[in-house]
Amino acid sequence: MNISTRSGLAAVFVVAIAGALGPAQSDGSNENSSASAQAQKQDGQRALRTREFLGLGRQPDPQLASNGEKIFGPTCGFCHGADGRGGTGPDLLRSTLVLDDDKGELIGPVVQNGRPSRGMPAFSALTEEQVRAIAEFLHMQVELAENRGTYRVQNIVTGNTRAGEAYFKGEGKCYTCHSVTGDLAHIASKLSPLDLQAVELYPEARSYDFGGTHPPRQVTVILADGKKLTGSLKHLDDFYVSLEDEQGQYHSIAITKGVKAVVEDKLVFHRKMLDHYSDRQIHDLTAYLVTLK
Amino acid sequence: MKSRPLMLWSLLVLLHGVSIAQLLDPHKLLEAEPTDTWPTYNGDYSGRRFSPLIQIHTSNVSSLALTWMYRVKVAAPMRGVTNPEIKSTPLMVKGILYFTIPDHVFAVDARSGRELWHYDWVDQGGHLVGNRGVGMYGDWLYFMAPDGWFISLEARTGNERWRKKVADEKMQYFTTMAPMAVGHHVLIGVGGDAIDVPGFLEARDPETGELQWRWNTEPRKGEPGSETWPNAAAMEHGGGMTWLPGTYDRDLNLLFWGTGNPNPVTAGQGRKGSNLWTCAIVALNPDTGKLVWYFQASPHDTHDWDNVETPVLFDATIDGKPRKLLAQAARNGYFFVLDRTNGKNIISKPFVPLNWSKGVDASGRPIPDKAKEPTVDGSYLTINWGGGTNWMPPSFSPQTGLFYVNATRGYSIVYLTDASDEPEGYGGFGQPLWSQHVLEAIDFRTGKVKWSHAYTTADGTQGGNSGPGVLTTASNLLFTGDYNGNLIAFNASNGDILWHFPALHSLSNGPETYILDGQQYLVAGAGDTLYAFSLVPHRP
Repeated sequence: MNISTRSGLAAVFVVAIAGALGPAQSDGSNENSSASAQAQKQDGQRALRTREFLGLGRQPDPQLASNGEKIFGPTCGFCHGADGRGGTGPDLLRSTLVLDDDKGELIGPVVQNGRPSRGMPAFSALTEEQVRAIAEFLHMQVELAENRGTYRVQNIVTGNTRAGEAYFKGEGKCYTCHSVTGDLAHIASKLSPLDLQAVELYPEARSYDFGGTHPPRQVTVILADGKKLTGSLKHLDDFYVSLEDEQGQYHSIAITKGVKAVVEDKLVFHRKMLDHYSDRQIHDLTAYLVTLK
Repeated sequence: MKSRPLMLWSLLVLLHGVSIAQLLDPHKLLEAEPTDTWPTYNGDYSGRRFSPLIQIHTSNVSSLALTWMYRVKVAAPMRGVTNPEIKSTPLMVKGILYFTIPDHVFAVDARSGRELWHYDWVDQGGHLVGNRGVGMYGDWLYFMAPDGWFISLEARTGNERWRKKVADEKMQYFTTMAPMAVGHHVLIGVGGDAIDVPGFLEARDPETGELQWRWNTEPRKGEPGSETWPNAAAMEHGGGMTWLPGTYDRDLNLLFWGTGNPNPVTAGQGRKGSNLWTCAIVALNPDTGKLVWYFQASPHDTHDWDNVETPVLFDATIDGKPRKLLAQAARNGYFFVLDRTNGKNIISKPFVPLNWSKGVDASGRPIPDKAKEPTVDGSYLTINWGGGTNWMPPSFSPQTGLFYVNATRGYSIVYLTDASDEPEGYGGFGQPLWSQHVLEAIDFRTGKVKWSHAYTTADGTQGGNSGPGVLTTASNLLFTGDYNGNLIAFNASNGDILWHFPALHSLSNGPETYILDGQQYLVAGAGDTLYAFSLVPHRP
């Protein structure tokens, strides 16, 4: 099994990576919490890994790009849009010249000399430093669109807190297993709203991510002669089951006729519920759970 | 009934034939079910991956044994993708296997598993996500390097004949397709979605690599189909990538190809409309590149559900009438059967649960539910984020009348991260929740799943979209693999498991079979290793 590690998945397929490396954590609502710090670290890893996977160039310098933004807006935005995505002038995020440029060596001459034949004036008054900053701003704009590892969710807490509480205590039947003063106490200090919304639907959803592992499970293997072996599940497929018993002894059993492996499954109810959620219920529940600071 | 261009082509073949014996006689490409050769990605032009070979059958498959292994020896991890993974289906021509991983082409002796040559490309960028293999024409191989190069090699030596730059990796095109030789054309497609770029399919000259025609997957301003986009700028955002080989019907002289999703991938607000010719199955004339018909599987896709999955061709009698059919298990979760002469829909039926569509219209086209497009706060889907299946090759057995596909059932939630009027890039992402991989056998007459096998795993939750392909044979066998490293033979009629082999990695390509020295081989790629099996291992 390689699903517990992100690296195992990464080689698999481009869109698996889109899904896997895309999810971004922080939404800025938990500025100083550990959830926020952890989320920021994961965001950084995601951006880097996606960058490597896509074969992008160097990471743009945020400070220089920010300087460039201030110059780009009033100087270039009139034609190319404040975000560089085009207006009367072309979209610069999909310009081969911009994509081939590294530190302004290609963008610079165009800015300073203009392209009179295409109606672009020369901006010869700009200093080399300013041109360099404009180039960096464009590279950052490309980065933010192209590198999906940098994507950040916006406000996902749009539901009704009271409706979410009612769902928790009523129709959702969450209360039958969970308690907001027990296992879910301070859950919102530990998880970002995005994580909360995933795990409220399926508690192991986030274990798809970096370094995540599934918690150990208990298995009972019923042998053909009716004897039972119980322990911590190591491996299970259509052909073999293996486990470690309480004494630390390893057992590997071929699943032949009459042999049955029964794996402890605490998530049966969560899976049943997956067929019954509406978007409103999900958002209301999230709005309630984020109050559990 | 041959069309005129093919008659001309046959003449060319004859002229070539008199000069020297070629490695791949182009007539092989036109055989319905070649057994001593695997000459194209799918084994033949139909895409069925069905072999008439019966030496290995349901009663003796349990003694199928490993004959040799070949492990690719390249530096790992490869940039951005960890270890090398064989996703290509090797061609087997005159006792030699030709296959690829990104940046590398290998020729291996099909009898012994010994390497004959290895072509090593040093890329200047591009995605190393996968490479589906080589195409072959006579003595020449065709390969797509990840940074947009279309390369021809001499099959005997692995020496490069020429290279043509066909796509710009800086624009995030990725070039992973197995080139496909049809007549005097080599067809090449592209991928790409990190930057909004338009898709296309090209035919190139097998001798010189020069462009013969290019079909754009989006119309240009004023062209038919442009009415399905708000404006020319939206069309230029493109998409509709063509990254898997299509199929071909020599009698109709039509190519059938699947097109990918429109761009931006998940943010559709800047491209209102159905966005032709993206997420469609199209029929093209291979000599001109002209569109003959189309069927759109996902109008205005916002879920990254490329419709590139193999359009599988077969003939059958329906209501007493012989019909030329095309079937596809699409990534959007629908199983489609079309009349391939005109694209008219016969069956549209989900093969996995899904809630993104409100059913189908009178023409069999799914109707997307606008409420299930990605939203800022998350839109809930009762289908796996990666789709109901993916690129992994399916199979159709004319004996059982069943279409076999490795499917995924699952749930996900999808977010819009770029809510601006003019989004760019992906513009969002999906969060997988729970999913399970299932081998499904679909009755083409009804679209109903006749039998299925949910692969057993330790945790029940299985992520990812890696691709075990499927092969069926006339001895009622189905070969595929699970996600736990087992290669498995099923009874194709009822799904009983008859054989398995624990490999070092999970099956990562479409398995193939052929006969060599009177011995039927099964060849499968799993991770970095190619495995060959036969009933009596041939060790002289």
